[in-house]
Amino acid sequence: MENPLFTLLMGTGIIILLALIFWPGKGLLARRGKVRLSSKRVLLEDTLKYLFDCEYKGISCSLNSAAGNLNISADRMAKLMSQLKEMGLVEFEGSDIRLTDLGNSYALRVIRVHRIWERFLADETGVKQMNWHEEADIQEHQVSPEEADRIAARMGNPAFDPHGDPIPTREGKIPPFSGRPLSSLEEGEVGRIIHIEDEPNYIFEQLSAQGIYPGMQVYLLDKKEGRITFAANGNECVLTPLFASAITVKPLPREEPIQEGYQRLSELAPGETADIVGISSYCMGLQRRRLMDFGIVPGNKITAELQSASGDPVGYRILGTVIAIRKDQASLIFINTENEKLKEYERSA
Amino acid sequence: MMEQEKSKKIKELVGMANSLKWELGMGMHDSIVSSVYADAAQIARKTVTTEDSKPAFSLDRRIDKVVTSRWLGFPIMFILLAIVFWITIAGANYPSAMLATLLVDTLHPILKGAANSVMPWWLSGVLVDGAYLSMAWVISVMLPPMAIFFPLFTLLEDLGYLPRVAFNMDSLFRKAGAHGKQALTMSMGFGCNAAGVIAARVIDSPRERLIAIITNNFSLCNGRWPTQILIATIFIGAVVPPFWAGLVSTAAVVGIAVLGIVFSLIVSWGLSRSVLKGEASTFSLELPPYRPPRIFQTLYTSLIDRTLFVLWRAVVFAIPAGVVIWLVSNITIGGVSLAEHFINWSDPFAVIFGLNGVILLAYIIAIPANEIVIPTILMLTVLVTGMHEVGAGSGVMFELDSLSGTEGILRAGGWTLLTGVNLMLFSLLHNPCSTTIYTIYKETNSVKWTAISTFLPIVMGFIVCFITAQLWYLFV
Amino acid sequence: MSVQPNCESCPVHLKGNLKRLGIDMEKVDYVVALAGNPNTGKSTVFNNLTGLRQHTGNWPGKTVGRAEGVFGYNDERYKVVDLPGTYSLLSTSTDEEVARNFILFGRPDVTVIVADATRLERNLNLVLQILEITDRAILCLNMMDEAKRNHVNIDIRSLSRELGIPVIPTSARRRSGMTELVDMISQVASGKYVCKPHKVRSRSPQIKHAIDNLSKKLMDAFPGLPNADWVALRLLEGDQSIIEAMQNGSLGELVPVENEVQ
Repeated sequence: MENPLFTLLMGTGIIILLALIFWPGKGLLARRGKVRLSSKRVLLEDTLKYLFDCEYKGISCSLNSAAGNLNISADRMAKLMSQLKEMGLVEFEGSDIRLTDLGNSYALRVIRVHRIWERFLADETGVKQMNWHEEADIQEHQVSPEEADRIAARMGNPAFDPHGDPIPTREGKIPPFSGRPLSSLEEGEVGRIIHIEDEPNYIFEQLSAQGIYPGMQVYLLDKKEGRITFAANGNECVLTPLFASAITVKPLPREEPIQEGYQRLSELAPGETADIVGISSYCMGLQRRRLMDFGIVPGNKITAELQSASGDPVGYRILGTVIAIRKDQASLIFINTENEKLKEYERSA
Repeated sequence: MMEQEKSKKIKELVGMANSLKWELGMGMHDSIVSSVYADAAQIARKTVTTEDSKPAFSLDRRIDKVVTSRWLGFPIMFILLAIVFWITIAGANYPSAMLATLLVDTLHPILKGAANSVMPWWLSGVLVDGAYLSMAWVISVMLPPMAIFFPLFTLLEDLGYLPRVAFNMDSLFRKAGAHGKQALTMSMGFGCNAAGVIAARVIDSPRERLIAIITNNFSLCNGRWPTQILIATIFIGAVVPPFWAGLVSTAAVVGIAVLGIVFSLIVSWGLSRSVLKGEASTFSLELPPYRPPRIFQTLYTSLIDRTLFVLWRAVVFAIPAGVVIWLVSNITIGGVSLAEHFINWSDPFAVIFGLNGVILLAYIIAIPANEIVIPTILMLTVLVTGMHEVGAGSGVMFELDSLSGTEGILRAGGWTLLTGVNLMLFSLLHNPCSTTIYTIYKETNSVKWTAISTFLPIVMGFIVCFITAQLWYLFV
Repeated sequence: MSVQPNCESCPVHLKGNLKRLGIDMEKVDYVVALAGNPNTGKSTVFNNLTGLRQHTGNWPGKTVGRAEGVFGYNDERYKVVDLPGTYSLLSTSTDEEVARNFILFGRPDVTVIVADATRLERNLNLVLQILEITDRAILCLNMMDEAKRNHVNIDIRSLSRELGIPVIPTSARRRSGMTELVDMISQVASGKYVCKPHKVRSRSPQIKHAIDNLSKKLMDAFPGLPNADWVALRLLEGDQSIIEAMQNGSLGELVPVENEVQ
C-alpha cells in the first residue's frame, strides 16, 4: 500500500488537472473549441456596417471617421476601403464613401444576424444585458443567414432588436430612419425611447444601470445648458449632453398616459390592493409573456395575499388566482395604489 | 404560373406583416394581449356578481396562512414528508418479503426444475437464473414501496399542498439558481428518480428544468434505501453498543439522504453558474385552490400512471442485466470466470477508492436497477471467495434472511467499516440507473445533457470515496 | 352557415389535416377538442365524457402527450381530443402551439372550452382567443358547485349572449351537467346550433387597421378563408407555423370547398 498522504496529493493533482482540461467554458478543451476568427473579414464587415449606419442616419462619413470608429489607423482603413472597392461593395464620390447596392445588401445581412442574435440573447437566454452587444458582434461574423432565419422563425420573426432597432428582413428591407435625439424634445413633451446607441458600450451600460431602456416613455421636464432632466417610470433623471445624445426618441401625442411616479409591486404590503399600470420594458421575452398570461396587464387589480415561509416569493391574487412572484420580478411591475386608497377612504367615510 | 403567383402573394403578405410590425412598434404584443383582457373584463362585469357578504375562498386563505406561515410552514412540511416516508418504508417491508418469498424462494426453484427438464443447463441458467431472477428481484423490492409512495404523494398533489411546498422552498432553491418546484421533483426522486425526472415537466423554465433533471439522481431513491439500511445496520450499527445500534444506523441513513440534498443544492448552484449560465430562466408558480382529493381515482391513476409505468421500464432493463450477470459469472477463460478476471484486475484500483472489485463490477452490471446491487454483490463475493456452502451457484443472485449471515459473507470478502461507509457514499453518488438515464434522454432529447447527468454523479462519487478512503488510511 | 347533413365541406371531411395531426378518423363521425386553462377540471370533464381515467396533476404543462377518447351519442361517435391546458394562445410555448394549431388546422367540429366558474374573468381570456379561431365552440362552465359555495353568481343566459356560443354550467366532479353538455356537443357538431362568436373589440385603432389590411390581402391570396382575421393577427405575431402553412398549402385547405375559386 502506498503512503496515503502521497496518494491523496496525487489524487488532488489529477482532479485539478482534469478540471483544468474539462471545465466548461474556461477549460483547455473549451478553449480549443473556440474558432479563431479571420480578423480581416471581421474588419471588412465592420466597415460595411459603419458605412451603412452613416447612410441610414444621413451622416456623411469619411475615411478618418471610419478608422476612428473601428479603432484602426487611417492607413489600414484606406487599404480596407480599396479592397472593398475592388470587391464592388463601395464607391467613392470625392471624399465621400458610399455603399453600392451589393455592399448595402451585404451590410444588411450582417446587421440582420447581429440584431436577431441580440433579440435571441435577450429573449431566450440568461446572458446579461451588458454582454448582448459584444456577443452579437462576434456572432454576426460566424452565424450563417440561414441559421439566423431559423432562430428568428422560432422566436416569431421579431421586428425589433432589444435596443429598439428594426431588424432588416431576409430580403434586405428596413424601414426608413425615424426618431429624433432626446435633446430635440421640448419641455413638457412626451416621447418613447426607440433606440439607445450601443456603441460605445459604456454609455449603454451606464444608461441601463440608471434604469433607462428602449420602449420606455419619457416626459421632458427641463433643458438647461445642455443638461436634460426628464421623468421615466416615476424616476427623475438628469443626463449630460453626451449621454442624452445616445438616446433616440419618437415624440408621442400628449393624450397617451405618462408613466411617472408609479410604485412597484414589490412595495405592496400584504393585504393591500392596487391597479396594475404596466410591466417595465426591461422585462422581455418569455418572462414578460408569462406575466401577461397570468393577467399582469394594465388595468387589472392585484392584491398581495400571502408571503411564503421565507418571505420571498409573495403570492398575489390576480383575477381570482394566486400567483407566486419573486421579489426581483415584482420590482419590474408598476402599480398604482391611489384608486384603492380613495375607495378605502370612501368606505370609511 | 398559378404556383408562382401564389408564392409571390405569400412573400408580399410576409413582407407586409413585417412593415406593419415596424409601424406598430415594440409594444404590439402587449397591446394585443391587453385588448383581450379588456374584453374579458367587460363581459365579466356584465355577467358575474359576487355577494359581498363573505369573501370568496375564506377557508383556502385560512389554510394558506397556516401552511405558509413563518413559524409553522417548514415544520408542517417536514412532518408531512416524514410521515410519507415512514409509511412507505414501514409499510413496504411486509409485502416486499411476501413477494420475495413467492417469486424468489418458491417460484424460482419450480421454474428452474421445469426448465432443466426441457432445455440445456446453460439456457435455463440464462433464462431462469439470469433473466427471471433479476426481474423477480426488481419487482419484489421496487413494487411495494412505489405502490405506497406514489399514491400518497399524488394525494398531497391533488389536495393542492405540493405547490405550497414549492412556494415555501423557493427562496432556498433560488439561491442555488433553481426553481422552487425542484423541491417537489426532489421529493419525488426519493420514490424513484425516473419519476422525479418526468415530474420536472412541471417546471416551465428550460434552465431550471434541466437543473432539476440533472440533480434528481442525488435524491436517494427507493431502490437504494434497502442497500443503505442493510449496510448501515451491519457496519455502522456494529461500532456502537447494541443499545444505540438502531438509532445510529438510522441516523447514518438519514445523514446520507441529507447529504444527497446538500449535493443536489451545491450541484444546482454550480450548474447554474457554469454550463447552464446562458440558459433562459423564468419563474412562474400558480397556487391553485385546495380541493378534496378523490381517493379511489387517485389510487387507481397513480398506480397506473406512475408505479406500473416506472416498474415496466425497470423490468425491461433488468431482464438483459440478469442475463449479463449470469453470463459473466459462468463464461470462463482459463478456468476462471469473466467476473473473477475483472474483479482481480480492478481490485487494486478499487482499493484506492476504499471499495473493492466486487462492488465495481456489481455497479457496472447492475446499472439497470439499484435493487439488484446487494444480491449481485453477495453472489459475486461468494464466487470469488469460493464459499460454496452459501448461495445457489454462480450467476444466481441471492439474499440471506439473517443479517449475521450476510455480514459473514461480506467480512469474508474482506469488507471493513471503510468499505461499508464508502459503499453507502457510492450508492448515493453514482450514475443513475438505466431507466433513469433513458428517461432523461426522453425528457431532454439531448445526448449532451444525458451524458452530463450520467457522468457528473459518478465522477463526484469517485472523488468523494477517494478522499474519504485516503483520509481514513491516513488517520485510522 | 347552412345545415348540410352530408356536406363535403364539413370539417369532419378535412381528414388530411387531422391525419397529419395524428388523429385516426376510422369510424368516428365528429371530432371534439377540449381546451381550457390549467386547474379547471378539464381532465375530469374528459374522463366523464369518455369513461377513461386520465390523471393530470395540479400543474400546467403536465399533459405533454395528448389524450384521446371516444364516446357515442344518438348513434354517432365522437372523438374527444384533450388539448394541453394553457392560460393563453398568444405566447410561444410548445403547449400553446399544440393547442393553437390543433384548433386552427385540425378544425375540430366542436371545441369545448372548460372554464372555472369561480374565476370566470381569467378564463374568459382564453375563451375569447379561441373564439377568434373557431366559430363552433361551447363554453363548459365547470365548478358551478364551488362558485355557488363562494357566492359567485353568473348570469348564464347573458354570458351566452355576450359570447355568442352555448354555455353549459357543470360540476364535473359530481357529474352534473354532463348530459346537457353531450347534447349540446351533438347540436353544434351537426350544425343545429349555429354560433355567432364574440370577436375582440377593444383593439387599438392601429392594430385593427393593420389586421384589416393584412386580412384583405389574405382573402386575396386565399379566397374564402374562414378566419382571416385570426390568421392576420398570427402573421403580425410572426407565427412561423402560419407562414409554413401558407407555403405548403395546408392553410389553403382550410377554405371550404364551395367557396374555392378556380
